[in-house]
Amino acid sequence: MHAALAVQYLLIACAVLASAWIVMKKQFPHATRRVCVALATPMVRDGRPAWLRALGRRIAPPRGGSGDGCSGCDNCGPAGQ
Amino acid sequence: MTVATAAPLRLALIGNPNSGKTALFNQLTGSRQKVANYAGVTVERKEGRLIAPSGRSYALLDLPGAYSLTPSSLDEAITRDLCRGFYPGEATPDALVCVIDATNLRLHLRFVLEVRELGLPMVVALNMADVAARRGIRVDRAALEQALGVPVVETVAVRHNGAKALVERIEALGASPHAVPPPLGAGADLHTETRRLLSLAVTMPARTSRIDDALDRWLLHPVFGLLALAVIMFLIFQAVYAWATPVMDLIDAGTAWLGEWVKTGMVDMLGSVFGEGFRTALADGPLVSLLGDGVIAGIGGVIVFLPQILILFAFILALEESGYLPRAAFLLDRMMAAAGLSGRSFIPLLSSFACAIPGIMSTRSIQDPRDRIATILVAPLMTCSARLPVYALLIGAFIPQQKVGGVFNLQGLVLFALYMAGILSALMVSFVMKKWRRDKSEHALLLELPSYRMPHPRDLAIGLYERAMIFLKRVGGIILALTILLWFLLSFPGAPADATMPAIDYSFAGRIGHALTAVFAPLGFNWQICIALIPGMAAREVVVSSLATVYALSAADDNAAAQALSPILAHTWSLATALSLLVWFIYAPQCLSTWATIRRETNSWKMMAVSAGYLFALAYLASFATYQIAVALGAG
Repeated sequence: MHAALAVQYLLIACAVLASAWIVMKKQFPHATRRVCVALATPMVRDGRPAWLRALGRRIAPPRGGSGDGCSGCDNCGPAGQ
Repeated sequence: MTVATAAPLRLALIGNPNSGKTALFNQLTGSRQKVANYAGVTVERKEGRLIAPSGRSYALLDLPGAYSLTPSSLDEAITRDLCRGFYPGEATPDALVCVIDATNLRLHLRFVLEVRELGLPMVVALNMADVAARRGIRVDRAALEQALGVPVVETVAVRHNGAKALVERIEALGASPHAVPPPLGAGADLHTETRRLLSLAVTMPARTSRIDDALDRWLLHPVFGLLALAVIMFLIFQAVYAWATPVMDLIDAGTAWLGEWVKTGMVDMLGSVFGEGFRTALADGPLVSLLGDGVIAGIGGVIVFLPQILILFAFILALEESGYLPRAAFLLDRMMAAAGLSGRSFIPLLSSFACAIPGIMSTRSIQDPRDRIATILVAPLMTCSARLPVYALLIGAFIPQQKVGGVFNLQGLVLFALYMAGILSALMVSFVMKKWRRDKSEHALLLELPSYRMPHPRDLAIGLYERAMIFLKRVGGIILALTILLWFLLSFPGAPADATMPAIDYSFAGRIGHALTAVFAPLGFNWQICIALIPGMAAREVVVSSLATVYALSAADDNAAAQALSPILAHTWSLATALSLLVWFIYAPQCLSTWATIRRETNSWKMMAVSAGYLFALAYLASFATYQIAVALGAG
């Protein structure tokens, strides 16, 4: 495969994954939050390598959440305090 | 610590609805605003920053409008709790700015006395002082200040520098924030005290404003008033179509140019940098298709409706600012009550013509829970602006451009009929709900009719700016993401080596579309329509761009792909299918965002399921009947 074509497929894969993530977060915020928590919890346990714990902390959703994500106007969640 | 770096004093703007509180908030904070919700409830929380000439910064909170601190609505309960420091997560304000309408002091002064009893430092902003003066209402500010025992300043929230005196008073308050107003004497009555204040400081003209009376004589007339309302509505919808067209054409041309540039200009440019091999790989590769057929076509197809949305909102904001909307609600109360709604449903239903979400959210102003639920359930039947592109596309393709009776445009009449069908359906549904509940109780509509006033361009501009940002954030977020996902589902996997059908038939979306035809074939929907309905559940506007993408990717060659969608549909669909799809979109089950909003606003999964279920059933049955009748009449 030509390198240029490989780069294109890589970019498309990134765009599609990012889009899927955005749609999930907007349409199913609670489920997305639960998935993040389930993914992050085993990563941050004691004894895990530092890089894995750091990754887990990045994946973990922020405390308090951000509204119920109606996706209607992106403007109705509680203010970040 | 300098004044600029000191912790900002927390001020709260408090006042009756229609006191000009939000206009004053806009005047004081400009664009330095943050809009969100109060924690746990769906009442809007607006906070902004006021930077005084001294450099001192103030955190300014625009509290929900309240007629009393003895609450009869969620808004009033929040205002009361927040001022008393009981609201979770909110600090008690350091001082209050009580905004009162100088033209309606009998109502507003009573509230000032209530607020004064909270014992917080406060300033009274005597707003609309200019209008009061024009009407001959003379307010002795100094006497009022002395009688109340709190600073009173005149403001004109809609005039540049109209809040200068207020800012100076706030600065003085900032220097001594612990100056607590005197309480009401023991045994004193609010109404008696209000009358005393009025007699001390206010001289009313012999009669109320001649302008208000003259306008109300016509605009609140049971016949002429309704006629005037119908004319206003007609003009709004005419303007939405007529005025938006030039800008829409411009956006359309810009999108087409950008799409073309991506396919040729961008490829050539990158080719000249990275070499001929890269240019060839890019030109034949999937990335150009994603950008051109997916992102630019999809996003352009949605952004094109921004002018229409802004024009509609400009009218709604102007009507709201002018004081006409409560009168429209008053006029329609009898008619809407007969159908199981109330006059208060008017504004949420009107907002739903732009989008059901703000419409449903604005039902918070309806205090009666029964009326509120009925309004929420019928709001999606109002034709939201996202349905416009679908209507425009199908009408353009299937309804001939001819005159009826030599005057009316047939396409325009069909569009009007579609809007009316939505409105009549909403009235019928609410009527059925009323009968279902066997509800014979009457809910009186109590409305304060504010004085007429000229909408201020600055407030209109701020409102429109907010609306545009909301729409553009939505386009750049969920709609862009859906467009990319749909393009992916329509493009992968590719056709097998021994393929006999077009490649799109083998794609994920193609297979889903073919599977769905089992359900939708009785309505005359083909697999392309079935595919488009899926992303349309997230945002209805996407149906048009989805159809464009589906037909572009199904096209045998580039020339066919470049053809406009309208003639393709006219050539490949029957009239019965087009009519069926038009009818489907009158009732079309809401988008997912509307479902989420209904669930949040009602706090009930059941209500959301009821809403989605009845709309799906109505859409299916109406489309089925339309298609079958049309086929029987030979339009299939």
